[in-house]
Amino acid sequence: MSRGAERTIDADVGIVGAGPGGMAAALELSRAGLTVAVLDEGSRTGGQIFRQQAEGLAARGRLAEPPSHEEGHHLVHELGEAPVQVVHGATVWDAKPGRLWFERDGASWLLRCQRILLAPGAYDRCIPFPGWTLPGVVTAGAAQVMVRGFGLRPGTRALVAGSGPLLLPTVTALLSAGVEVVEALEAAPRSAMFRALPGVIGNAARLREAAYYLKALLRSGKRLRWGWTVFGVEGDGRVERATIGRLDASGAPIRSTARTIDVDLVCAGFGLVPAVELAALLGCELEWNPLRGGWTTKVDEQQATTVAGVYAAGEIAGIGGAEVAMAQGRLAAAAIVRAVHGRQVAPRTLARARSERRSADAMLRAFPVREGWFALADASTVVCRCEDVSYDKLGKAAAIHGADGRGIKMGCRAGMGPCQGRICGPSLQALACRAVGAPCTGAPMDRPAVQMPVKPVRTATFLDAPQG
Amino acid sequence: MSRTSDIVVVGGGVIGCAVVQHLAALLPRDTRITLLDRGAIAGGTSGSSQGHLMVTPDCAQEYAFTHTSVRLWADLQEQEGGFDYNPTGALYIADDPADVELFATLRDQFRACGDDAQVLDAKQLREVEPGLARDLPGGVFYPGDGVVLPMPGCAAMLRVARRNNPHVEVLSHTAVTGFEVSGGRIEGVRTVDGVIATRNVVNAAGVWSPDLAAMAGQPRLPVVPRAGNLAITAHHASPIRTQILEVSYLRVAHGAAQADPLRTDQDTGAHAVNMQPQTNGGCLIGSTRQFQGMKRTVNPELLRRSLQRAARYVPALASSPLVRTWVGLRPYSLDKHPLIGPWPGLEGMWVATGHEGLGITLCQVTGLLLAQQFAGTTPSVDVKPYLPARVCA
Amino acid sequence: MNRDTRMDGADARRIVGFTFDGVACEGREGEPVGMALWAAGNRAVRHASTDGSPRGMLCAMGICFECLVRVDGEMVRSCLTPLREGMDVRSGGKP
Repeated sequence: MSRGAERTIDADVGIVGAGPGGMAAALELSRAGLTVAVLDEGSRTGGQIFRQQAEGLAARGRLAEPPSHEEGHHLVHELGEAPVQVVHGATVWDAKPGRLWFERDGASWLLRCQRILLAPGAYDRCIPFPGWTLPGVVTAGAAQVMVRGFGLRPGTRALVAGSGPLLLPTVTALLSAGVEVVEALEAAPRSAMFRALPGVIGNAARLREAAYYLKALLRSGKRLRWGWTVFGVEGDGRVERATIGRLDASGAPIRSTARTIDVDLVCAGFGLVPAVELAALLGCELEWNPLRGGWTTKVDEQQATTVAGVYAAGEIAGIGGAEVAMAQGRLAAAAIVRAVHGRQVAPRTLARARSERRSADAMLRAFPVREGWFALADASTVVCRCEDVSYDKLGKAAAIHGADGRGIKMGCRAGMGPCQGRICGPSLQALACRAVGAPCTGAPMDRPAVQMPVKPVRTATFLDAPQG
Repeated sequence: MSRTSDIVVVGGGVIGCAVVQHLAALLPRDTRITLLDRGAIAGGTSGSSQGHLMVTPDCAQEYAFTHTSVRLWADLQEQEGGFDYNPTGALYIADDPADVELFATLRDQFRACGDDAQVLDAKQLREVEPGLARDLPGGVFYPGDGVVLPMPGCAAMLRVARRNNPHVEVLSHTAVTGFEVSGGRIEGVRTVDGVIATRNVVNAAGVWSPDLAAMAGQPRLPVVPRAGNLAITAHHASPIRTQILEVSYLRVAHGAAQADPLRTDQDTGAHAVNMQPQTNGGCLIGSTRQFQGMKRTVNPELLRRSLQRAARYVPALASSPLVRTWVGLRPYSLDKHPLIGPWPGLEGMWVATGHEGLGITLCQVTGLLLAQQFAGTTPSVDVKPYLPARVCA
Repeated sequence: MNRDTRMDGADARRIVGFTFDGVACEGREGEPVGMALWAAGNRAVRHASTDGSPRGMLCAMGICFECLVRVDGEMVRSCLTPLREGMDVRSGGKP
């Protein structure tokens, strides 16, 4: 018997991620008669955007929920009733076409399948600013986890800063948890609101969402400040004060506008970055698409990647939110069903994915990454938190080794810690270029080189990995 | 970029940077020294290495060579620092009772070189390194070894070089495309950014040094890549504080290889695990040896064997989170000795390559010997075994 | 328990006791240790190995490795590790 046979499961399709994309796909595939196994790191289905409350907790009635979450709950419920195997607490660390190795409860498992659908989502883009390593500074995503997932009131006086469509959901989640949102700062200029309109108009669901958030904001009496952000955070061992101010046209801080507020919680979210590491490990071609979050997985019209038998849906094919993820999940499922049963993909499925993608792109165009944000860091600001590399040290390394990814790694180890470059990676090159005064076109100078493990796992997990 | 240079060093790894450092120290301050690398400084093998500084007592020559170099690293630390220099010493261990005989042999080897090492019994072993499994029969502790971070090490060498000589020019991402040769001597180096007129070139290009030699119309240097699979654990998870090696490592790595290095489809089977603690709390584990051409994909089965050995010796390693795995390509010289000195086939061509798994250790003495030969001063260590002339037909 | 730091509403999860660096705390069984620590008023859960600066949870989803604590001698991400009765949790940081 080969190593780990008792820790091997089989399915026609293996799905990574039980968020909107993974759930929608799993249901369609199951209805078409295919066996499906879904691997998710969390303890409940729903992913990040449709984060479900911890079992046993019933603060839901008090939690503000936008209209889209109704569909999310519906999917979660349906998935629970469907003959789909969902494995929670599963961290995928290695993969080959038809093979997904994961760690669960400290044990090493293998999922064997004919086809793989990747829908692992995205993570917050972190922009370093002075004092951001102080305990009490969390990402926008973390605020959602704490409030929606675990019913916490994470602070009493909060500063929410960042950019993009996730700002308002962060504010409303905190408000409904009883947190006073002292300031809500959108780094983009007010004109972004109008730029975003095409993404909302003509899309009924998005209109409803937008109306919901605007109403919630009005009710709270809070006003969003446009063209503002956090300049720094201070405190004795934890967040106690924050300095905020206005940004110029490039997104850089206008220091003379700085003012200080008393807060005990800072939630920062400057957009999302697609979690493409697993796709890269599988050998899928990536495309640089700054509009859609950076490195994205290249997919064809029906969500197939460049590796036979591997599909991608949702954020990793380009940031787009829940509607895009669900539409693409259904499209990928239809493509797989076509490959297996020969059934044609319904034109409506294709059309839906395309239309949602268009709306999402319009939103993204309104909230691009601005190069001035990289001027927030000062010399001593830590830019790589794992390896404690300051902006100053980064600059010195880039000056000798080059401002590209490899040069930065060689020079100061930034990006080489346990977060595997997820927190600092998206900012490092821009910061390095700025530090050495090199023009930063934004296009990365080198491709991410990915080896297993794609997430840190216990050495024993690697040693006991079931043989393929 | 300067259009002329007095000496161009090709290859910005530890060897190239050490050559630049020692050239800058020995030659007049106004000498124009240029360092080229087609990628990032330390972006090649040096960036994939383990960073161990290892004194090998097999014979007097090897001992002098490695010991001198490790001393020079200590000098660099004193002079400059900034590369996580950690004088961990080295702990040689074994679990096969037959290998226990090797402990005394190893200590005697060090003594024969005028140095010393301490044979430890089981109890003493645990005192030196509490993270080791409790059933090991003992080991040998040699205090002279250490661990460095090679990439910041390169940066340190270049900083020292620049202080001694403001004309040191470092050009990363500047690939060499050819050479200008006339009348049997070097006249210039062609790069992607234009030509640098020079009469002296040092080939410090590691696993690419045969390609570079061929570009100059010379026979390919007898150096082939020898891959090693490596892994590193996350922070706060290093259960060891000394550098640990299986006592069979010396035999396996630097002794006779069983496999034909010119066949790239074999695993030499040469496995002897070694581990270095990192100052950030991680633990680096190596080191396999295979000939597989320039392929840099990790071989999970081989890596598994290393990590299994490592976990056998350091049980806590099993629960340490693995953060990264990678492959480094050691430049293996076919006659097992590095090449350091002038290349007789082409005037102005110098060679510094072929260090296999001792590149980090030996870069300092290599830089020194190359610079001394270039400057015409007496080499500090007998350089005869390393002269490239021996392979030049 | 933790009335200021937890939202109102029914909670069927068992309240369990644990210690953080020897100090007695309470939390809900099965919730991530990091959430329990946060609700109990802790923000810093470790100190950085280089400069000793206090660090705490940043991403709350297992990505950033800032929330490291020791449970039964093993370094774990507190945002992912379920709380059990009697857990001995120690702040992370250089061993």
